[in-house]
Amino acid sequence: MSDERTARLVRAAQNGDTLAMNDLLDELCPYVERICAPIALQQGEDAAQEALTAIFRGLRSLKEPAAIYGWARTVAAREAVRIARRGARSEPADLSELPARGDPQLATDVHDVLTRLTPEHRAVLVLRDLEGMDEQTAAAQLGIQAGTVKSRLHRAREKFRKAWSA
Amino acid sequence: MVGMNWPTSELDTVARLRVLAAGVRGAHITEQVIDAPFDDVWAMLADLEGDFGEIVTDMQGVTVLGRDGDRVTLRARSRFGMRARIEGTQRPGWCWLQSRFLLIGIAAAPLGAQTLVAFTGGVRIPGRAALVPVGVRREGRHSLARLAQRVDAGH
Repeated sequence: MSDERTARLVRAAQNGDTLAMNDLLDELCPYVERICAPIALQQGEDAAQEALTAIFRGLRSLKEPAAIYGWARTVAAREAVRIARRGARSEPADLSELPARGDPQLATDVHDVLTRLTPEHRAVLVLRDLEGMDEQTAAAQLGIQAGTVKSRLHRAREKFRKAWSA
Repeated sequence: MVGMNWPTSELDTVARLRVLAAGVRGAHITEQVIDAPFDDVWAMLADLEGDFGEIVTDMQGVTVLGRDGDRVTLRARSRFGMRARIEGTQRPGWCWLQSRFLLIGIAAAPLGAQTLVAFTGGVRIPGRAALVPVGVRREGRHSLARLAQRVDAGH
């Protein structure tokens, strides 16, 4: 679907056209599901429903219709982290624990890798590998602390790779 | 990386209806488990010119004016006798209809041998994604009760 048509749908939905809201849901649903599932794992459906609910409740406040995907992405990732974290202890994310982009283990069994990461890490991984963002930007968008230096990142990736190839 | 086998999930139609209703102020969702298989329940709800009008009494004398894919255009009479042109989307497990003054949303999803049905709708506030907050819950309850009765009676 073209960006122009999406922006038109958002405008119509903001003006109270519920058919446009229906069309917009058809368009956003697979996108939000794709982001929520790898972050919230077995709670992926709950996360997608919560994220889409927040998006449709807040639609009128979106000033720039063309920004709908960027906004939906941030809401989806944050909601997925929140749902996955529900009831769990929160700790700052250390990005050095993330597998590197192109890590062979990721391609072999992404699900197994994901279950070993915290929800915050999974969110950064999804935004990086599915959405093409860099790690620091992804962390900033999620509002999580990411105090990591490059050498440490490199060392940890090596450790991660060794653990998987052992 | 996009080609990798990332975990996936898919919202069912009832969850989608909850989402859409959240964006319509005053839209209340009523849900009920109907003791019949999805195909039987949906056959009734999808029959816009027949059973539908007996269940959703906000829309009566429904005539289908046209279809284009899952798009549908109808003409119907409200309970108060006013005729209206209605547009919407209808596909298995999903029906979302809007006229200038009316909104009806119905979703159904299989639940084993039973069916979960969700209903929302009411009188629209023109120009806004909002419903007049009168009788919304009652209409939902009554529509689902009529559906359950018709299913029981084997209509």
